[in-house]
Amino acid sequence: MAPTNEAEHKAFAKTQLSIQHLTHRYGDDEVLSDINLDVTEGEFITFLGPSGCGKTTTLRAIAGFITPTEGRVLLDGDDITDLPAHKRPVNMVFQQSTLFPHLDVGQNVAFGLEVAKVPKAEREKRVREALSLVKLEGFERRRATQLSGGQRQRVNLARAIVNRPKVLLLDEPLSALDLKIRLDLEVELRRVHRELGATFIYVTHDQREALALSDRIAVFNQGRIEQLDKAEVLYREPNSQFAASFVGDANVFAIDIASIGDATVTTTDGLELPLITDQAAVGPHWLVVRPEDVRFDTDTAGVEATVMDAAFRGASVTYRAECSALGASIKAEIPDEIPGTTIGRQVQVSWSGQRARLLPRQV
Amino acid sequence: MQYQTRRSIPTLLTTIGALAFLFVPLFIVILFSFHATDALTPPFEGVSLRWYREVLADDAVRDGLFTSLRVAVLTAVTTLIFGTAAAYGVSRTAGRAGAAYATLFLLPIAMPGLILGVALLSFFSNRSISLSTLTVVIAHTVFVAPVFFIVARTALDRIDEAQLEAAADLGATPGYRFRKVILPQVLPVLLAGAAMAFVISFDEFIVTFFVIGNESTLPLVIFSRLRRTIDPSINAISSLLLFLNLALWLAALLYSLRLEARRRRDALAQVQG
Repeated sequence: MAPTNEAEHKAFAKTQLSIQHLTHRYGDDEVLSDINLDVTEGEFITFLGPSGCGKTTTLRAIAGFITPTEGRVLLDGDDITDLPAHKRPVNMVFQQSTLFPHLDVGQNVAFGLEVAKVPKAEREKRVREALSLVKLEGFERRRATQLSGGQRQRVNLARAIVNRPKVLLLDEPLSALDLKIRLDLEVELRRVHRELGATFIYVTHDQREALALSDRIAVFNQGRIEQLDKAEVLYREPNSQFAASFVGDANVFAIDIASIGDATVTTTDGLELPLITDQAAVGPHWLVVRPEDVRFDTDTAGVEATVMDAAFRGASVTYRAECSALGASIKAEIPDEIPGTTIGRQVQVSWSGQRARLLPRQV
Repeated sequence: MQYQTRRSIPTLLTTIGALAFLFVPLFIVILFSFHATDALTPPFEGVSLRWYREVLADDAVRDGLFTSLRVAVLTAVTTLIFGTAAAYGVSRTAGRAGAAYATLFLLPIAMPGLILGVALLSFFSNRSISLSTLTVVIAHTVFVAPVFFIVARTALDRIDEAQLEAAADLGATPGYRFRKVILPQVLPVLLAGAAMAFVISFDEFIVTFFVIGNESTLPLVIFSRLRRTIDPSINAISSLLLFLNLALWLAALLYSLRLEARRRRDALAQVQG
């Protein structure tokens, strides 16, 4: 974790949700190991990780669907660990639509209000407000089966926010939708978050979604939080090989540093690689280079590689080059096509020494 | 491509023969319930409603009919309550425990009515419970509960667990979830199951024979009449029961067709939406 960012973060904000030493086991299988996390009021925080990393389990522990083996969940300072789901002032949007098929849209959205015995006039007003917030004005009398997938998730969102939860939990709410609808709904989610000012906790395995939506991202791996930071910090300064390769595209090279120069390091194999950092040290390391920081040149000095593939992406071209000296394939994202860079061509690969990142590597 | 059996004379004859075997006796029973004389076999000698009049005026038949209706209604109600509770419990019990409970609830199906009758009779006399329509209701409930259980469980299992989590998440207590989320979705099926319980109970004979006291259900009345006289009044009773059953089945069929049509319309709307 980047300590300066954390400290800065805590200085001006009030902690609303606190997860302390959360550990969960199914039999001998430990799915969560000592998760610690403070979420600030009004924050949009994302749990990011591959399937089975513990992100959803953590979310379900906050919602009250599981009781953790160890650890506490605190909401505004109150311990809610043993409170059943129906007594917690948090609401959830699920991965698959969970609209009640026997009720229409209006009745679905009103469900939580009816449970809370909100008077009818007030109920109707708030259902209207919630539906207008998700841009589905006048959809009250429709049935869930008459809606598209995207509309259905909007109704699920409206149903979850109508109770004005302190914390809104979102469990991969967009993952079942088509890409275009997903992108539209991302924009909508950010707007709804701004307008409500509530705390959002979002679970996804899609790093692009996480980067686009979140104030902060918690990268989960094997039941632990690998790194918790703002999106930019996470992208620019990943502090583990896992975080580096899971968040954004990354070239990760296993290198063994023999000596440190001014703007370069020299490996035990005698390769001179661009790197400017005060953290360089002799020994085995991971070198992380983002594709957009990679340059291909034919004349300047660099590491020799052979172009293997080029894919046009509209705004840029993605090249892949095989580098035998580094024993790896290098991905480069370059704004314009390089004239004459045909497949099979020899190129000199280099990158910005300032943007490259060095991480310790165990051997 | 669908495989079609070739239409041949032997196939046709077999089909007609099988259908005749099923329906001719029914037809004869109905036909002779309208017979003018007391003969039960051909030749048919004129139409009359005398046997229906006679049967409907017969106190024994009327009492039997009301006893049967009372027993069948009570059996349907108790089955609905206990069967739903059992099916709900099992459908929400995960893993091996749930499967074990399900097997236990279904086991009575494998028990012959004769054995069930003997077992219940010895139980009632051992506990000094006097035989009455109440003991018949208990016996019938034991008898039809497994059938109802299967029907109810299929419907309950179709409800997505995530829906119940969503309801809990919105603040609904377990009781509220059952009343407002589960029940509205499964009620048609539960009522159909209760109707099945009603029909099975209504013409049940063997178990009833063991555990009934002084009263008689309609099947018992028919049986005792058969031992005394054989005339078309039996046909008239049978025909009445047949019409009643047909009416029930027809109502159930129309109802399920309507449900199916609505489901299809919704599915279509979903595809288009």
